[in-house]
Amino acid sequence: MEHDYKKLGLKSGLEIHQQLDTHKLFCDCPSLLRQDEPQYEIHRTLNPVIGETGKIDRAVAHEATQNKDFTYQVYDTNCLVELDEEPPHTINQEAIKISLQIAHLLNCKIFPVTQIMRKTVTDGSNTSGFQRTALIAHDGYIEISSGKKIAIDYLMLEEDSARKTPDSKTTYKLDRLGIPLVEIATGPHMHTPEEIKEVALKIGEILRACKVKRGLGTIRQDVNISITGSKRVEIKGFQNPKMMIKTIDIEIARQEKCVKEKICKNEVRNALPDGTTEFLRPMPGAARMYPETDHPLLKIPRNLIDETKKNLPKLASQNSSYLKEFRLNDELIRLILKRNKIEEFKILAKTIPNHELIAKSLTIFPKEIAKKENKPLEEIITILNPHTLEAILEQVDKKISANDVKLILQKITQGIPLEKAMEKSDIDLKSEAQKIIKQKPNLSQGAYMGLLMQKFKGQVSGKDVSDTLKELL
Amino acid sequence: MKTKTFHPGDKIKLQTKTKTWEGHALESHDPEIILLKIKSGYNIGIRESEILNATIIKKSEKPTSETQTQAPNSNLPNVAIIITGGTISSRLDPKSGGVISTDKETILTIAPELKEICNPIIESPFMKSSEDMDPQDWKTIAETCEKYLNDDSISGIILTHGTDTLHYTGAALHFFIQNLNKPIALTYSQRSIDRASTDAAFNLICAAKYATSDIAEIALIGHENQDDSSCLAIPASKAKKMHTSRRDTFKPINATPIARITPNKIEILKTFNARSNSKPKIDTKFSDKIAIIKIHPGQNPSILDYYQKEGYKGIILEATGLGHVPTKESRANWIPKIKKSIQNGVTMVATAQTTYGLLNPNVYTPGRDLQKTGIIFLNETTETAYVKLGWILGHKTWNPKEKL
Repeated sequence: MEHDYKKLGLKSGLEIHQQLDTHKLFCDCPSLLRQDEPQYEIHRTLNPVIGETGKIDRAVAHEATQNKDFTYQVYDTNCLVELDEEPPHTINQEAIKISLQIAHLLNCKIFPVTQIMRKTVTDGSNTSGFQRTALIAHDGYIEISSGKKIAIDYLMLEEDSARKTPDSKTTYKLDRLGIPLVEIATGPHMHTPEEIKEVALKIGEILRACKVKRGLGTIRQDVNISITGSKRVEIKGFQNPKMMIKTIDIEIARQEKCVKEKICKNEVRNALPDGTTEFLRPMPGAARMYPETDHPLLKIPRNLIDETKKNLPKLASQNSSYLKEFRLNDELIRLILKRNKIEEFKILAKTIPNHELIAKSLTIFPKEIAKKENKPLEEIITILNPHTLEAILEQVDKKISANDVKLILQKITQGIPLEKAMEKSDIDLKSEAQKIIKQKPNLSQGAYMGLLMQKFKGQVSGKDVSDTLKELL
Repeated sequence: MKTKTFHPGDKIKLQTKTKTWEGHALESHDPEIILLKIKSGYNIGIRESEILNATIIKKSEKPTSETQTQAPNSNLPNVAIIITGGTISSRLDPKSGGVISTDKETILTIAPELKEICNPIIESPFMKSSEDMDPQDWKTIAETCEKYLNDDSISGIILTHGTDTLHYTGAALHFFIQNLNKPIALTYSQRSIDRASTDAAFNLICAAKYATSDIAEIALIGHENQDDSSCLAIPASKAKKMHTSRRDTFKPINATPIARITPNKIEILKTFNARSNSKPKIDTKFSDKIAIIKIHPGQNPSILDYYQKEGYKGIILEATGLGHVPTKESRANWIPKIKKSIQNGVTMVATAQTTYGLLNPNVYTPGRDLQKTGIIFLNETTETAYVKLGWILGHKTWNPKEKL
């Protein structure tokens, strides 16, 4: 399907929602998605309420005609805030910092004072019946390859909603509810689907430079589309960015038909995997926004704005050239960027001269140890934090040799104290190797290696054994 | 820049160095910050010092209140709803941004189902947060109840009230109203009524079920647990607020609830006084010269002298454990001072600071020593004990030392 977008007067804007990699926005619960069975369930009824203007918002009214009774699955990583049984705690300061960084990278102006709002949502996805959201910044821009500036109208910090369980329309899990989310709204300045895609990718790169969650479902894009004569339609739920252009083309065709039949409506539609869309609800209005009275006005101090501006993270492309200066190979650079270890690398590189060893200790070693110890990678990374790594790496060529590092790290993940883990084993590798060669002559180096590693499992490093054997054979 | 030419609710235009903002002015509690609701519905703050120019686009209009008066359904019983304030009847003022008391009829918009259960007749003797109430307010509430108890066209009463001291008011009505002839349901909300999840809706529905039942008892009606599935009817003098924020904050203390209520059913859990034609009697005499002292380690008993000097007639000691105070083994022995207070005509009462469980002075020596002073061990919540003692000592003949 090819359209003459200029002739059609295509106007399009993006709304990008990105989860931040920190604890929940209004309580200290971890932002942890759960696959296991919930601890218990609660049952609630949501009633439509009169908005500030004295009228029920049209989107809320639509939701109210749907179901009112909901079940929520509760985990031990939830607290009374997600259950709507306790007022919100003070807003997560780290989430504010991250959203300020993103705002700076998008060249936005920061609101010095803002108010947390309640956006009425009665489809069950929020236990309270509203989503908490606050304007953080306004009037920024990004530049795309053509040199065109795309306006960033607003940046909001808000709480993510609860997610539906796959087998029920009225049951939600509370694990996702409250995860901090940054929403970025661009101006309606994109005139071709290619521009929309480029802007989405560009904003995505900026977001990934900051402390945001990675992986499926952690970023969600909504596209606002209108053509001459139609009304603005919001398309939600793009799972696959590759489908974006096709979906937009199909929506343009649908709107052309609406214009012809004069049945255009402001509405929210849901993107389906085949590129078509389905009606979700009417476009909500301002009537559903009112202040969160349980939280004071949010004042963003000048020094916090300045401090975050001074310490802005670099984009992946900038980081890559930064890492090249340390003469790391392409694979290690790729791994550091993929695992988001650039900050840790920078800290360690200040005091540790062996840059390749730092890179390996941050990327390859933890993964190998996790596999050997049969533990989740997150757990290994938590133990092998930059503080622990520094304590070990600074002893290289003093107390320990570079070859021992992986083994020491593994010992630490087993719970062996740092000092003990760094003790040199008193095994005389050379004489042990000579002994075995004498006992079982004429074997391959690999076979001797296997025998020695089996005998001194976890006490000597493979590199030391292989070096010793090379010397002897 | 002089910006205070506009008022909350006015549509205004504010010019700053970087941008001109348009929106509705809101009430701001910080004099240096102008709060503005912009078109998207978000509120933002602008420092007054940054405003170069402010113009009013449109003055705020007085909201037209359109109250829909529906003809009462003659097939349904009449229920009096007495509204006194609290979360259940306060809401956000859209124009100003502040929290205000609702107009009386708003309570019906929270739970439209009420009109399927009864014809509500709404009255509000006053609007107060419950922490601001005092025994004078309890009298007013009791007198308002009296009117409806004596009105044969009224099936029952619902009292809506803030949660903080609802159990004090419940206990007061328990002592103030005798020969009760019909149900009185006390109810509340812990989540504000502006949100779809407010617990007020379900509590009101269950309160209406109770008020139209045959149970002639004063009961506190509220969520049994975290679900919007059932409410308990707790005898008003046995209830206590046990959580700062949860829906099921009120628990029966050392008592059985009267009933479990769902929108479809009332499940009776214990015997109760049934609806009757008896003539209720209201007796609101009350002495507020009652003090509550919570016993804690290292406490000096001379505080008792202070209360006597100030003319207090009754003192409640919230005692530790089974009913203990520091005795002769401690550095500050309370026993002699308690004895002396009683000799001087002060009525001394002990309650349990553990909240749950009964007092028993016979288990340990300190309990026996305390009992010998003449103190009254009262197995009621401290709140109910306070109201009970205030009501008793409000009647002069109860105190032998007081001159008639």
